[in-house]
Amino acid sequence: MRMRLLALPLIVAFAVLILWPLSSVVIDSFDAKGEVSFGNYTEVLSSAYYQQSFITTLWISALTTVIGIVFGILLAIALRARGRGVRRFALAFGSMGANFAGVPLAMAIIILFGMNGFFTILVGKLGLPGAFNVYSIIGLTIAYCYFQIALATLLLTPAFDAVPVEIEEAASLMGVSSARFWARIGVPMLARQIVAIAILLFANAMGTFATTFALTGTSVNVVTVAISSLVSGDIFSDPNLANAISLLLLIVLLVPIIASQIIAGEKRLGKDPSAGPQR
Amino acid sequence: MSYLTIANVSATYGAMTILDGIELSIGQGEMHILLGPSGCGKTTLLRSIAGLTAPSGGEIRLGDRRIDNLPPKERGIAMVFQHYALFPNMTVRQNLAFGLEQKRLSRAEVARKVDATLAMVALEQRADMRPHQLSGGQRQRVALARALVLEPALLLLDEPLSALDAQIRKRLRDELKRIQRESGLTSILVTHDQDEALTLGDRVSVMNAGRIAQTGTPREIYHRPDSLFVAGFIGDGNLLTPDEIERLTGIRTSGSAIIQPQDLRFESVNGATATMAPAPDGEIHVQGVVTDVSLSGPTIRYLVEAKGLTLKVEAPNRYDSAELSTGTTVRLALRKGDIHVVPN
Repeated sequence: MRMRLLALPLIVAFAVLILWPLSSVVIDSFDAKGEVSFGNYTEVLSSAYYQQSFITTLWISALTTVIGIVFGILLAIALRARGRGVRRFALAFGSMGANFAGVPLAMAIIILFGMNGFFTILVGKLGLPGAFNVYSIIGLTIAYCYFQIALATLLLTPAFDAVPVEIEEAASLMGVSSARFWARIGVPMLARQIVAIAILLFANAMGTFATTFALTGTSVNVVTVAISSLVSGDIFSDPNLANAISLLLLIVLLVPIIASQIIAGEKRLGKDPSAGPQR
Repeated sequence: MSYLTIANVSATYGAMTILDGIELSIGQGEMHILLGPSGCGKTTLLRSIAGLTAPSGGEIRLGDRRIDNLPPKERGIAMVFQHYALFPNMTVRQNLAFGLEQKRLSRAEVARKVDATLAMVALEQRADMRPHQLSGGQRQRVALARALVLEPALLLLDEPLSALDAQIRKRLRDELKRIQRESGLTSILVTHDQDEALTLGDRVSVMNAGRIAQTGTPREIYHRPDSLFVAGFIGDGNLLTPDEIERLTGIRTSGSAIIQPQDLRFESVNGATATMAPAPDGEIHVQGVVTDVSLSGPTIRYLVEAKGLTLKVEAPNRYDSAELSTGTTVRLALRKGDIHVVPN
């Protein structure tokens, strides 16, 4: 009994920091202009504007997740064969990149690709095509990729390190090329971990606000920006509508997480395929 | 005639010398064992043959080809690893077929070869299972089948039985021997287990500190070790210095000698007198006292104190034969020819 009391601070923190805000979001989301109703939800779901914001956000998140995973896999495979020094440097660099988001990232992107950015001017001076508007979905995608690739590399590297070298050697003795080995064995072997990391990346992108707001303001319609303008908007403010959108965002995030848990659970019934005494 | 020839192969890792001028030739169809304590370089030698480690010097020839400068896949060598190294996302059948598909064989040909090889290791029933559904012994049979199906010019086995428990290890050892004999595949097996080496090998190379200490048939290695290292590493014999031999038998030898425990026989128990001098028929008799008795499966191991020396003596463990208790005075008989002087 005594020992259980030790968990009390954790439970209190969980209640105060998660349960309380979450329940207030849920309760308030059903409060439409003073009445208890689904009014906020019907408004969000029937509004072309908010539909568009969800579609834009899903699209950017999915695209940058795929880009992040693909580059992350290639980098993790490349790093696997490198010495410890290179790997430590790359991972330190990756963890910096993964956390380099928000205003500093937006500023960096603007300095490089903005109207008077280094590359924009360089490309213009050289008379090359390729200048683009950084304050757009393309700019946002580039900004997201910056931390998505870094985060993917950071998370995928240990997963790829766990593939036993012997398996790779067995394949190479059979005459299987490295590319074919990773395509047919290495990556499928790690499918579950890769899916889990992809979901994390996806959630990461869906919830990004600071980078988006600092780079494109309200000109690109993504969900987090829509929520923020409802909460602190100067034209019209409707915090309860924002609550409803937040909850819908949470549901969108929960769908892939639960789906992957179910898939993982089914696989685990047979025993973990990646476990076994393969070191 | 030599099929695999290893000439002056060396390997270094940083300042450490892992292999120090290895010379070895192996005949076609031979099962050759590399035996040695861990860190002796046996695995490095195997990996150098496979091309997974680049030796720093020397030459390796397989058949009439020089292979040490070829990439692993062009050497025609298959390898079985200690921890199976099966492809976990593929079924047993797919594991076997993967290498064949690489060779661009027709689908029917692949299926025929896979089925034939699975039959050889008695795993037809498990063809559609994945590695994690199999026991350790079955996994290693799949790994063996995966190597055999490619019909390699040389099969390398890196401690293939060490990850298995005793019973399965023994059964798989016999099966490995049968399959190797049937296929006639030239094989090199690395192990640190001398029982495994002596039962499986046509010839055994005992390695120590990056060198081959001795190569010979299991009988030669066991009964006629040509160095103190081999004598100490193989079996569990009585390794005695010249002085000790003289004290025990009255014979002066030119160097240390080994007496195998089973060559010391109990001649009479209690009250018998010991003869110091060699008997006319070349037998030596020594009196001693039993100080320890332990049962190890088919044999009983005794420690006998004689002339201030503790001797290991082994006798067959039969149900009807009386076990000697500690404190019993015994007379041991030894043939002169069973004292093997180890050349230094």
